[in-house]
Amino acid sequence: MDRQQEFVLRTIEERDVRFVRLWFSDVVGALKSVALAPAEVEGAFAEGLGFDGSSIEGLSRVFESDMLLKPDPSSFQILPWRGEEEPTARMFCDILTPDQEPAAGDPRFVLRRQLDAAASMGFTCYTHPEIEFYLLNSEELDDEGSPIPADRAGYFDHSTGSVAQDLRRHTVNMLEAVGISVEFSHNEVGPGQNEIDLRYADALTTADNIITFRTIVKEVALSHGKYATFMPKPFSEHPGSGMHTHFSLFEGDTNAFYAPNAEFNLSTTARQFIAGVLTHAPEFSAITNQFVNSYKRLWGGGEAPSHLSWGHNNRSALIRVPLYKPTKGGSARVEFRGIDSAANPYLAYAMVIGAGLKGIQEGYELQEHVTEDVWGLTTAERKALGLKPLPGTLHDAIRQMEDSELVAEVLGEQVYENFLRNKRQEWDEYRVNVSPFEINKYLGMI
Amino acid sequence: MPTRKLIAAGFQELDRAKSFLQDPQLKGIDEDALVSCMHDAPNPDQALLLLIRLLERAPSVTELFTTEDGSCHRAVPLMRLLGGSQALGEFLIRHPEQTDVLFQEQPAAEPAETSAEELRQRLMGAVVADPSAAFPVAGLDENFSAKDAGRALRIAYRREITRLALRDLTAADPAGYLPAAARQLADAAAAAIDSALAVSRAELSERRPEVAEIELAVIGMGKCGARELNYISDVDVVFVHRAPEEMDPAQAREAAISLASGISKVLGASDGESALWEVDANLRPEGKDGPLSRTLESHREYYHRWASGWEFQALLKARPVAGSMALGAEYMEAIEPLVWQAASREGFVEDVQAMRRRVFANIPLREADRELKLGRGGLRDIEFTVQLLQLVHGRVDEQIRVRDTLSAIEALGTGEYISSRDQEAMSRCYKQLRLYEHRIQMADMRRTHLMPKKEEALRALASAVQAPGARRRPSPDDVLQQRQQVVREVSQFHETIFYRPLLSTTAVLSEDEVRLSAEAVGDRLAALGFSDPRSALRHIEALTSGVSRKATLQKRILPMMLGWFAEGVDPDNGLLAFRRLSESLGTSPWYLTMLRDSSVAAERLCQLLTSSRFISDMLEHRPESAQWLGEDESLLPRGFEALWTEVQNALQRHEGAGQTAVRLARLVRQREMLRTAIAEACGLITQHEAGLALAEADRVAVLGALRVAEEELAETEGRHAELLVVAMGRQGGREISYGSDMDAMFVHRAVPGAEKSAADAQAQKLALRLTQLLSKPVKPAIRGEIPLQVDADLRPEGKRGPLSRSLESFQEYYRRWMDIWERQALLRARPIAGSDWLSVDFMELVDDIRYSQAPTAQQLREIRRIKARVESERLPRGADPARHVKLGRGGLSDVEWLIQLFQLQYAHQHPELRGTATLQVLQGLVDAQLLPGEDAETLKEAWQLCTRVRSGIMVWSAKPADVLPSSRRDLEAVSRWCGFDSGQAAAFEEHYLRTTRHARQVYEEHFYQD
Repeated sequence: MDRQQEFVLRTIEERDVRFVRLWFSDVVGALKSVALAPAEVEGAFAEGLGFDGSSIEGLSRVFESDMLLKPDPSSFQILPWRGEEEPTARMFCDILTPDQEPAAGDPRFVLRRQLDAAASMGFTCYTHPEIEFYLLNSEELDDEGSPIPADRAGYFDHSTGSVAQDLRRHTVNMLEAVGISVEFSHNEVGPGQNEIDLRYADALTTADNIITFRTIVKEVALSHGKYATFMPKPFSEHPGSGMHTHFSLFEGDTNAFYAPNAEFNLSTTARQFIAGVLTHAPEFSAITNQFVNSYKRLWGGGEAPSHLSWGHNNRSALIRVPLYKPTKGGSARVEFRGIDSAANPYLAYAMVIGAGLKGIQEGYELQEHVTEDVWGLTTAERKALGLKPLPGTLHDAIRQMEDSELVAEVLGEQVYENFLRNKRQEWDEYRVNVSPFEINKYLGMI
Repeated sequence: MPTRKLIAAGFQELDRAKSFLQDPQLKGIDEDALVSCMHDAPNPDQALLLLIRLLERAPSVTELFTTEDGSCHRAVPLMRLLGGSQALGEFLIRHPEQTDVLFQEQPAAEPAETSAEELRQRLMGAVVADPSAAFPVAGLDENFSAKDAGRALRIAYRREITRLALRDLTAADPAGYLPAAARQLADAAAAAIDSALAVSRAELSERRPEVAEIELAVIGMGKCGARELNYISDVDVVFVHRAPEEMDPAQAREAAISLASGISKVLGASDGESALWEVDANLRPEGKDGPLSRTLESHREYYHRWASGWEFQALLKARPVAGSMALGAEYMEAIEPLVWQAASREGFVEDVQAMRRRVFANIPLREADRELKLGRGGLRDIEFTVQLLQLVHGRVDEQIRVRDTLSAIEALGTGEYISSRDQEAMSRCYKQLRLYEHRIQMADMRRTHLMPKKEEALRALASAVQAPGARRRPSPDDVLQQRQQVVREVSQFHETIFYRPLLSTTAVLSEDEVRLSAEAVGDRLAALGFSDPRSALRHIEALTSGVSRKATLQKRILPMMLGWFAEGVDPDNGLLAFRRLSESLGTSPWYLTMLRDSSVAAERLCQLLTSSRFISDMLEHRPESAQWLGEDESLLPRGFEALWTEVQNALQRHEGAGQTAVRLARLVRQREMLRTAIAEACGLITQHEAGLALAEADRVAVLGALRVAEEELAETEGRHAELLVVAMGRQGGREISYGSDMDAMFVHRAVPGAEKSAADAQAQKLALRLTQLLSKPVKPAIRGEIPLQVDADLRPEGKRGPLSRSLESFQEYYRRWMDIWERQALLRARPIAGSDWLSVDFMELVDDIRYSQAPTAQQLREIRRIKARVESERLPRGADPARHVKLGRGGLSDVEWLIQLFQLQYAHQHPELRGTATLQVLQGLVDAQLLPGEDAETLKEAWQLCTRVRSGIMVWSAKPADVLPSSRRDLEAVSRWCGFDSGQAAAFEEHYLRTTRHARQVYEEHFYQD
């Protein structure tokens, strides 16, 4: 029993916790949860908790269904929304095989392994996500089959007394209560759209936090009689929900992306990192933009980046190098704007970091940065500038991922295979569906 | 001065020596006497120069050379010192006032030992501290600053080391004096730390009064704690503090940390006298991240709750060495019991195995042959064996809980865990190796564990490790040989000392061997990784009890074998299999001789028995095959001719008794299967050769059975038909695995003058009889046989068609009805038994068909469709396609179908594509420029890997399976069979999945393209 584990057991006693939820995520990043009675926690620390992995998407091979959940005591938190009546806590879990080895199909393990790889190169990875989501009146749709936004506030509008205002404050309090620091929150451009920024932390913690965050936002919305969605593009006419993430690498206590005298203060390491991400972004789109709907965000305009480009404080580029005070070398970072709010954060971060590290290892050359508004360019102009597009559909993305050695390497063969299988199936389902768009357009046409 | 005398004294640079001897500083010293006492200087050239420089600074030293009898015997210690340690010579030159120590030390065969208390008094004196005070404080004032005190301390320490070196180098039995030297070095280090603490306390108290009240204890760890320190080494320590109750704990800790770090500052400063050594506190709780000092309570708390296995191992050697002895004693009282509880923790076996690996890891040390500490035969080797025994047995036996290695060896001897003979040898070797280390370090006062490379240094070392007064100066070779001898001896220890006594519960041992209790043996076996020590013990008993020659011999070899078993995937099963083998082999003289004389054979046997149930089962039934293990020659495939001759002879001998003859042929086949498996497991033959050997063995069996079937039928009904057996599929390509069945077709033709209908009828009988002879049980039963199953389902019309067809019927069928898949199947047809003439005619027909024009577009489509259907339908329900070696993604069938598709399309144009062996045709595709070399390489790698995994599963589990195992142990076994190191199962799994995925990519790219 180590110090952390003991802390957990003591807190359970002191706070009279009635249930402990063990959290983990499946391949698509959906939260899975198993409840434990407090008396079972000690055993779970010692031996892990057995469960049937075959029921979880992409986790294990069908014939090898016995898996173990091993709670990570450092992630222990009391869940605030469960109230004081029956306090409930949660811990994230690593998934192990019956032989106590990390399960190759566990997304958390994928990220851990990638961070270990970074550590072996001498880097620690920090991330800072800005998560967008929509607040809806309810899960119900209107007469035309569209969701109904909870308010109509615009970007930075201070809509006094609005539901969203209350709700956001409540959410922020909750997040702080579970130890997730929130940096800034404001309305995004779409009606009912919100953005909350999580303060920067190491990549694994951030990924855990994102999972927690989504759950909290949904819980709080429900308690206010509203509904929150992280769907990448719920409205055709409004911008989608992205999860722009700032990445930085530290060597010890120095920011490896910072070079005082270079262009935009970008170190060679940073340039190679960006080059790596740009080079491989089409291959891992299926991870960072994992749903059919994700591509409607990417290609639906509204600040979503659809071409492989980077720029200094250019909001139309896939990678933006933000402005920061020159005195603050420690905050040098690059913002990858491709990920959407519905991505599995473990896999998405593992991929972006993996691609960046690849760029560093192989010393990729970085293409020219763009100063123009990429959306404003014509196709021919983009061609002239050499700006290649991201995949246009999930199908496209799957095809590119199938040919990618890097993705296989970062995810590991098993997750790679499971993920592809899952996505092919999704595409097949989508393809046979006749959408309202088609009915409207073609039914009366001929 | 005659040159001869200089040479005899050991001078190397004679002209230089001659001119130095004329130096004015040496005036008044008798030249002859001087040169004769140089004889004892390890390096006379160095000694002479240092002497001249020393006399210049300290003329009084001349007095050492002026004795009444005219000899220089009083100067011998000085010459030993100057010739053995440049560093200490320089120290005297730097501080001529310290040369009085030379007059205090008289040469003595049995040198004195300075007590710890004396050393402490002297060093405390150097910093003007009262050693008897509760918290000694250096007497600093405006004329004696903390810097001055530090310098005085370092000089005083070096003075004591010089004194020790003078004694050490004159001892009549240097190795005998070694423990005393190591003790004094540890005590001097402890006294230096204690005095440095007094300086640190004095300096800090001036500014921060609370520091005066802090009680600080320094716990020595490692060699300092065990009082077995080297001349120069980091000193490992841990700090404990206690403050008056009213002091704020944070403030107290802060003060204690300042005090503790003050110690390093004093010892590590170098103004006026260079730094001593590092005080290393990294073994403290939480290592570098933890606070430098903790309270006793905090230590207790830490070790109680959080400490991990290795931290307790470090505590094995802990001892209070400086500061408050009362607090130190309380610390020991609190911590010591935890150490031995720790040894019974979970994970103990893993720790032990990790230790084993660390010690014997084949670290590619560039300097391995000069290394005194690491690797086989080094100091670590002894220390590891000793500590392992302490850990294994110290849980129950308090007597062996001692700190230093030499005492531990003695205690293990007294406790009868090792024999008195081994005790003596271990102790002697340890002292000898340490003596080398001491002398080497002393030379420059540098931390090194390497034997010198230069001849000059080796010569000095050879002399330095000897007692003074030898008549002849030893040569560099002497010391190298002597060391080699020790290294050889040390590398035996682990086996004799750890493993041999495992036999002692029953075996009759000679008088000078130790007898362990059953519990002690159980402890050791569990530590080795036997999951069922009780059964293991039973097997060992059975193998070694009694006085038969076999038992005696097994007693001798088993200790070594137990070590080998422990390295295998399944030690328990290995030992059991060995017992069975040994029992069935009884007293066969060759068996015992082989195990005794061939350690290769014994090691191989252990490896096979722990890694292969297939081989151990077969060996149990055919124990005499173990004979092959001794010589590689007999493990190589015998070749078809030799086997067929053997079977023919058997047929002749047993003419008329067909059953008996066939049984012999089947025995030959089984024997060859085992031979091939062993050869492949030992890495003597490649996978390709193994496939060939297995195919030849099958062929011989088929030939034998066919001959018998023909004779039987000819006897009852006369001879009407001649039969040809044609191997198909992997048999056709001669690339089968252990226990593969045989795809075959039968062709017949009427013999001249026979009726066609009679011939047809007889052919069916022949074919049926043949398959029966090969697979039906025989009497007496062949134990452990995997009979050859003949599968004729690929014949025209499949199961509905006649078992054998006439040549004409084949022609007719192929002309009219043949499906494209049947043409594909013919690609691998290879005649293996029967009429040669029929074979020629049939193969002409087959070649015409299989290598004819490219298939039509429709036929190609057909093949692709069949392949797709096979993928989806033949794969067992629920199987993961990524892990199925045969039908899975990038598996055998992907590669083979792709190659066959190319053959169908291009073999009529490219003769290099005509063949039945997969890899050969694949190479043909590259040669014909039909497939890029890179793609071919990918396919080849996957095909070979899958084939290897398949045979690996069979060899490991004795059960055929086509799915990559997922249980870690099975996977580990297969992964080792495929050439991965132990513990690499996860990496192997990843490798497999990646390799096959790549193959699938290549397959998809080419298989569907027109």
